[in-house]
This record gives sequence, C-alpha cells and structure tokens, in this order.
Amino acid sequence: MAKTYDYLFKLLLIGDSGVGKTSILFRFSEDAFNISFISTIGIDFKIRTIDLDGKKVKLQIWDTAGQERFRTITTAYYRGSMGIMLVYDVTNEKSFENIKNWIRNIEENASADVEKMILGNKCDLDSKRQVSKERGEQLAIEYQIKFVETSAKDSLNVEYAFFTLARDIKAKMEKKQEASNPAPRTGGHQLRANEQQRKPTSWLSRCSLL
Amino acid sequence: MTNATIQEIEGIDDYWGPAFRSVYEGEGHEAFVQQLDERIKQHDKEIEKLCNFHYQGFIDSIRELLKVRSHAEELHAEISNVDANVKEATESICTRADELIRARRVELNIAATIEKMELCLPLLTTYSKLKTQVEAKRYYPALKTLEQLEHVLLPRVGPYKWCAQIAGDIPRLRQAIQDASMADLRDFLENIRRLSPQVGAMALRQTQDLLGRSLASIVKNKKDMAVLGIAGKEPIGPQCPHELVDFSPLHRCLHIHSVLGAKNDFIQYYRAQRKQQARLVLIPSGNLHDNIQSVKNYLNAVLGFFILEEYLLSAGAGLVSKDWLLDTWSMSVTKVASTLRTNTSLITDPTLMLSIKHQIVLFINTLKCYGLPADPLPLLLQEMAEHYTEVLMQRWVVVFRDILDNASFTPIEVETQDQYDGVMDTFPYEGEELETQPFPRKFPFSSIVPAVYVQVKEFIYAWLKYSAGLGLGGSRRAAAARHSASLLLSRSFTGCLSALFRRPLPLMQLVQIIVDTKYLEDATLCLYEFISNITGSELVTTQTAGSMFQAARDDAEQQICDKLEKKVDEFLDLENYDWLLVEPTGQASSFVTDMLSYLSGVLTSLEQLPERARVAAVRAATNRIATRLRNLLLEPGVRQISSGALHQLDLDVIQCEQFAAGEPVPGLREGELLEHFASLRQLLDLVNGWEWSSYLHDVGIDGGKYALVTPRDAATLLEKLKEAEQKSSVFTVLKKNERDRRKLLDTVLKQLKQLQNQDGS
Ligand SMILES: Nc1nc2c(ncn2[C@@H]2O[C@H](COP(=O)(O)OP(=O)(O)OP(=O)(O)O)[C@@H](O)[C@H]2O)c(=O)[nH]1
Ligand SMILES: [Mg+2]
Repeated sequence: MAKTYDYLFKLLLIGDSGVGKTSILFRFSEDAFNISFISTIGIDFKIRTIDLDGKKVKLQIWDTAGQERFRTITTAYYRGSMGIMLVYDVTNEKSFENIKNWIRNIEENASADVEKMILGNKCDLDSKRQVSKERGEQLAIEYQIKFVETSAKDSLNVEYAFFTLARDIKAKMEKKQEASNPAPRTGGHQLRANEQQRKPTSWLSRCSLL
Repeated sequence: MTNATIQEIEGIDDYWGPAFRSVYEGEGHEAFVQQLDERIKQHDKEIEKLCNFHYQGFIDSIRELLKVRSHAEELHAEISNVDANVKEATESICTRADELIRARRVELNIAATIEKMELCLPLLTTYSKLKTQVEAKRYYPALKTLEQLEHVLLPRVGPYKWCAQIAGDIPRLRQAIQDASMADLRDFLENIRRLSPQVGAMALRQTQDLLGRSLASIVKNKKDMAVLGIAGKEPIGPQCPHELVDFSPLHRCLHIHSVLGAKNDFIQYYRAQRKQQARLVLIPSGNLHDNIQSVKNYLNAVLGFFILEEYLLSAGAGLVSKDWLLDTWSMSVTKVASTLRTNTSLITDPTLMLSIKHQIVLFINTLKCYGLPADPLPLLLQEMAEHYTEVLMQRWVVVFRDILDNASFTPIEVETQDQYDGVMDTFPYEGEELETQPFPRKFPFSSIVPAVYVQVKEFIYAWLKYSAGLGLGGSRRAAAARHSASLLLSRSFTGCLSALFRRPLPLMQLVQIIVDTKYLEDATLCLYEFISNITGSELVTTQTAGSMFQAARDDAEQQICDKLEKKVDEFLDLENYDWLLVEPTGQASSFVTDMLSYLSGVLTSLEQLPERARVAAVRAATNRIATRLRNLLLEPGVRQISSGALHQLDLDVIQCEQFAAGEPVPGLREGELLEHFASLRQLLDLVNGWEWSSYLHDVGIDGGKYALVTPRDAATLLEKLKEAEQKSSVFTVLKKNERDRRKLLDTVLKQLKQLQNQDGS
C-alpha cells in the first residue's frame, strides 16, 4: 500500500494560558479563527500534512493547556516531541517573561536536540502591545532560537512558523542520518537517504518582508 | 126761384151737388148767373169796404214788424255773445269734472287693491321667512313654515300667477331642504368619523382610571381637590365620551325626515352609511405590528364608533336598534380579532406585545361597560399568549446563544468568599462539602448553569407579565408558567445546545455540557418553587422536569464518541507498517503507544461524566481501534504480509488488549472491551499458531476456538502471507520443510475457498 507520508514530525505548542496556542493551531489546521476563549484542558492534537521539498510531511501538533494545573499531564508530551513552539502574547508582558520558564521546562523534559521556535502572538493588537518585536528578537538570539511574530487572527506568519520549524527538523534529521549509517528505520519514523539538504531561507529576511 | 138757390148754396158749405143739379136741370140759368154775378159784385164791394177799413192797421203792423226785426237781430248778437262766454267758462269745469271722475275711480281701485294685498302679505312674509330659514339652515322650522305656506296661506290667496310660482316652488324647496339636511348628515358622519378615535380614547382612559382606582388613590384625589379648593362640582369639558360629539345635526335630520315622511328611509340610509363607515374603521390605517400607537388608534376608532352607536341606541330615537347594533358589532369584533391576530403574529418585540395585550384587555373591559360582547377577543389573547411565549423564547434563544457563545465550559472557580456567595446567590447548589473547602473552591458546573438559571427566571418574569391582568387564577398562571419554562429549557435551550454541537467542540467542553445539563435539570424544582412564590400558588411537586436535556446529553455523548473515534482514526492514519518486515522490533509501534496514552489521559479526564457516557466512549474508541487494525490486515491494498509484520501487529494488538483489559473506566462488564478485539485476536492466533487443522475441523461449530474467523478472512490473510513468503524466497531454493509448509498452505487455501463457496451458495 502506498504510504500516505514521507515524514512524521511531532510538534508541541507551549506557553501561558490565553496566549493563543489553540488559536494558532486552529488557524494552521482549519484556517479559521474564533474570537471566544475556550481554555484548553489537558492536551489535544491536530494533524496536517504539508509538502516540504516534494516530500509529504505529516505534522502531529500537540496543543497543551497553558494552565498550571495541567502541567504534569502536558510535560509528559515533551519527550516525544521533535519541535516545540514557545508562544507568548505580545499584549501580555507576563507571558513573555514566562518564556524563560518554559525554556527551562523544555531543557528539563524534552530531548536535547529538540527544535524550538518562539512565537510572539497577537501582533495584530498593536494598540495593546506590551512587548516590542525587538525584545522578542533579543530573547530569541539569547537562546539561539528562531523567532517570529504571528497573528492567529489575521493569519500572519502562522504557516511560515510551522513550515520553518518543520524544515529545520527535516534538515537536522537528514544531517544526522548522513552522519550515522543510513539506517532505513528509526523508531516509528521513516527516513529516506539522499534527501537533499535545503537551507531554510532566512527567517529574518522573510520577516522584514512581511 | 134763383134767389133761393144761391141762399141754399151759401147756406150749406158742402153738399152742393143737389143745388147745382136743380140749377142745371131748371131753366133759370141766366137768372141764376145774373144772381150769381150780382152776388159776386156784392161780395166784391164788401171786400173793398173791408180792405179800406183795415189798411191803416196793416201798414202800422208792417212798420212795427220792421222794428221788431232789428231788435231781434240785436238780441241775437247779445245771446251769441253770452253763449260764447258761457262756453268758455264751462270748458275747464268740464275737464276738472272728468279728472274728478277718474280720480274717484282710481281711489276705488286702490282700496280694492289694498284689500287684496293685505291678504297676500302674510304669504309673502312667510315665504321670505322660509327663505331666510333655509338660508340659515334651520331646516326644521323651515319645513314647518313650508307646511303653513302650502296648506294655510296659499289657498287663502287667489289664483295669482306668482302664487302659482310659489306653489310650484314648494316641492323644489322641500327637496332642497331634504338635500341640505342630507348634506348636514354627511357632515355629521364625517365629523363623528373624525371624533370616534377621541371618543374611544376617552372611554379607554376612563376604564383605565377605573381599574387603577383604589381606595388610597380615591382618598388622595379627594385631598388634592380639597387642597386646590375645587369643590368638585364644576365639570370641565365633557364627562362622558359621547359628549364629545354634537348629535343635534343628526336629530335635526331625523326630525326633518320624519316631517318629510321619510323617517324609515332616513334610518335605513343612516345605518347603511354607518355600516360602510364601520368597514372603513375596521381597516387599520397602517401596520399594527410596528408600534403601539397604531394599535391604540385602531382600537380607539373601533371603540369610539360603537360607543356612539350604543349611545344612539340608548337615546332611543330609533336610529339604532339593538339587533342592528349587535349585528354590526359581531361582524366588527370578528374582523378586529382577525386583524389583530394577523398583525400580532408578525411581532417579534415582547414589549410591544405586552403593550398591545394591555390595550386589548382595556378594550375588553371597556366593551363590558358598554354592554358589547367581547367574544373572540379573549381567545385572541390566548393565542397571543402563545405567540408571546414564542417571541420570548426567540429572545431567549439569542440570550442562550450568547451565553453559550461566550462560555468557557470550564467549572467555575472562585477565589474569595464574595465570589462564592455570588454563585450561591444566583444558583441553588447544595454543596456542603464545598462550604468547608479552602479557596480557591471549584464548583462542579460551569458558568452557564447559573447564567441560564438566572435567565430562565428572567424569562418567567417576562412571561408572567403577559398573564397579569388576564384574570387568571394563581395556580393556572403557575401551571402555564411552569409549562413555558420547561418548554424554554427543553426546546429553546436544547436547540441552542444542539446548534452548539454542530460545530466541533473540544472534548472537555462536551463533558462539561453534560455535567451542566444535569445541574440545570436538578434546579428546575427550584424554578417551580420560584414560580409558585411569585404567583402565590401552591407548589406543585408532582410535576417533575424529568430528563429534559437527555436528548442534548445523548447528542453530546455521541459527539464524544465520534470525537474519540476520529482521534483514533487520526492515530491510525499515522500507521506506518512495513508489511515485509523480517524481524519485529520487539517494541510496540509508536502510534499505538501514543494513542493509548492519549486515550487513557482523555478517559481519566472524563471522570465527571456519567458512567454510562464514559462506558459508551471507551467502547466506541476500542471498537474503532479493533476494527481499524483488523481492516489493516484484510484490506486489499496490502498485498503481502510477512510473518514479521504480523508479529509486529500482534505486538501492537497486545498493547491495545492490555489497555482494554485494564478497565480504563469503571462500570464495564468484566472483559467487555476485550470482546472488541476477539475476532482479530482469533485471526492472529490462528495464523500465528498455524492451527489450520483445528480451524477446519471446528468450522461451523458454535463456541469453537476460532469461531469468529470466517473462511474468507482466513483465506485473505493466508493469501497475503503466501505472497510475502513467495517474494522473500523467490531466488532461494526451498528447504524440505519449507516445501511442506507451502504445500500445506495451498491445501488450506483450497479448503478455505471451498468453504467460502459453500457459504456463498
Ligand atoms: N487579537 C488576537 N486574538 C487572539 C489571537 N490569537 C488568539 N487570540 C485570542 O486569545 C484568546 C485565547 O486564545 P487560545 O488560543 O484559546 O489560548 P491558549 O493559548 O490556547 O490558552 P490555553 O488553552 O488556556 O492554554 C482567544 O480569545 C483568542 O480569540 C491573535 O492572533 N490575535
Ligand atoms: Mg488552548
């Protein structure tokens, strides 16, 4: 039977409650937006297949509850993740400050080579902004993580963020594969040899375009 | 002899014949002629002598005569003169006399004329009076004058031309009066048409005052009057609604027509006209469904119309009969009801409905005062009540939708005592154990529960507003209110819930909805209590709400099942089996372990769900897993399956079976979930255990070890296994036991095919 995908990447969305994790995922998976706030309970996931350099990449994206009381349930999912989106809300200083704590969480619970990305969400709400884009970038550079400001509402940079993260994971995977003996199978994920390594286009240049 | 004869002749005057005969016959002729001659000579001598004697006298006389002649002439001239004088003198007298005669005659004529004229004068003055009366539109007196003119005055005066003219004028005038009075009637009709709404409005206002009158307000009014120094005896303006209208033109017209002998015609005419007016009044001038004023105007006009007719009936002039009035009224009230019905059915504003209802109630009460039957109107009020309920429900649908749209569907958490009390004040929750817990305290239900509860109360308030003033008893009102409230919950709110289910909801929210509906259901008793409190009726406890949200809960449960199945599908879509796997990894596939841990996480978080729902959810999920895994093996897309791959799948199925056996939720029958995997398990065991002889032996026997494996499925899988083996050994020489195995395989396949054909035939 023909395989329905070439790669399966498990991604994780973390960040304070209300920053828009579910909204970002909803935008990415359903291309829709909901103004009402229904806080996530526990954990949920969505799957979307994207095309990366001619490869079918299945993204299984886990959306975690930001609320403290679900922390134990959600941290269990760090381990299996290959990419993590750290989301804060540009209109909420506290959520930005907490990014450091979330990074510590990742360090403690996720595998060391997990790909990360910081998203400053709700950038459409310029009038209520508390965290400047520069501060976001500053923090990202500090941790050597990619950064982009997004708006789930206006569908700004959401696709870009997921594609970038996926592309980075794919690149890292292919690099690792080249280094080690090309084994046909690692864990549940099928990897193909001779995958052409593609450098992701600079996210900075993209961002300034937008 | 001769002498004698002469004497004889002389002696006789006549009769001389005989004398002459004797002369003639005798002889003495000579002697006689001589005697005659002598006699003639004698007479001559005597004449001479006589003439001589008288001559003088004669001359004198002539002279005298001449003298007389001149005198006569003188006299004649004198007389002529006198005569001329007299003639001259008498001429003017004669003219005077003539004049006098003429004047006398004129005088006589004048007297006669005056006499006649005096007879004519009253006729003429009456006639002119008639004219002025007509001009002044005082038709009734005019008509009386006309009568007098016609029957008294005209016959008295002679047959003059002008009398004939007047007489000829009379019918024309009479017609003119009739026409004019008709015109007056029309004016009157026009007038009352204009005034009817005011009449109606006044009557309604009076009823309103009457209804609103209480002892306190009467006392207050009295006091106010005393303060103002008003004795309360001077009525300002009309006191009764009908006094707004001046009926005198109508009565005048009636009198006039009575005089004209056309009273009945007039009454008929009046009624026909009014009936026509009634029809006009019954057509509202605009839409009645967008503002109260148009309804008021409409009802005022109708009411005013009939108040005036009713007044005419009681005035008793015969213009309006009871039958006619009631007949017209019943036609009208039916029309009013149907007009209001059509119009109110379009209304979506409850406040407007209430105002209209109030207006109709007032209308009905006023009708009672005027003795007009209200009949289809109470029914209309009932129908409107239903519509009002509908309208309210539509309103509350919006409210509910709003609540649900903005709901977080998470349990209410309170940080402070105030917040806690806030929830407890709005919703009757008996949570003694919560009372003692430290803050933050968490209610089992979400914010929609108190919100909906409060809204239902609001609805009941609003609903009861309509039934106020309808004269219903408390218990009837309460029963109807209970009915409407349950309808609101079971229909409107449930409708909103089903609408909510149409969009994908997160699992936890679905769970919370199920929990919330339970709490709402339990609270209906408190709602009933509330209803009996505000209607002042006894609490009815026998009527329980039942499970009005069961359908919604079923919906939600179904959604939960669907959701879990979908998640299972998503995981299984991640399946990535290598069907030609040589060696199993010894580890379960990651999609399976992910799925099972996800499921157990979800199932633990479903713990607030009623057991039934959780069991249904876990059943749906496990059944889905089993079906999908089994389909993987049998689906025609997969051509070959190596025994390594089969073992890998077996390993994964074992994971699932462990999950199922671990009773992920309470309330399951022992081993119940495992049954979903039974046919898959038997198929795997059969093929992995290579137990074909016992399978073929037991085929068709109930309760056999592989009873759930159909020959078709067994054949399908075996075929795939054979394909895979052939592929892997295509270039190698088969060992002896492998050749045996191949042979056995073919035999079994043949047998299975046979069985299949038997089944098929
Ligand atoms: N204006 C604006 N609002 C957003 C945006 N993204 C999310 N929101 C709103 O922010 C609120 C929270 O969004 P969620 O996506 O539910 O937040 P979350 O991070 O999933 O929160 P938890 O599930 O509690 O962890 C919602 O009311 C969203 O409509 C955005 O890009 N712009
Ligand atoms: Mg969320």
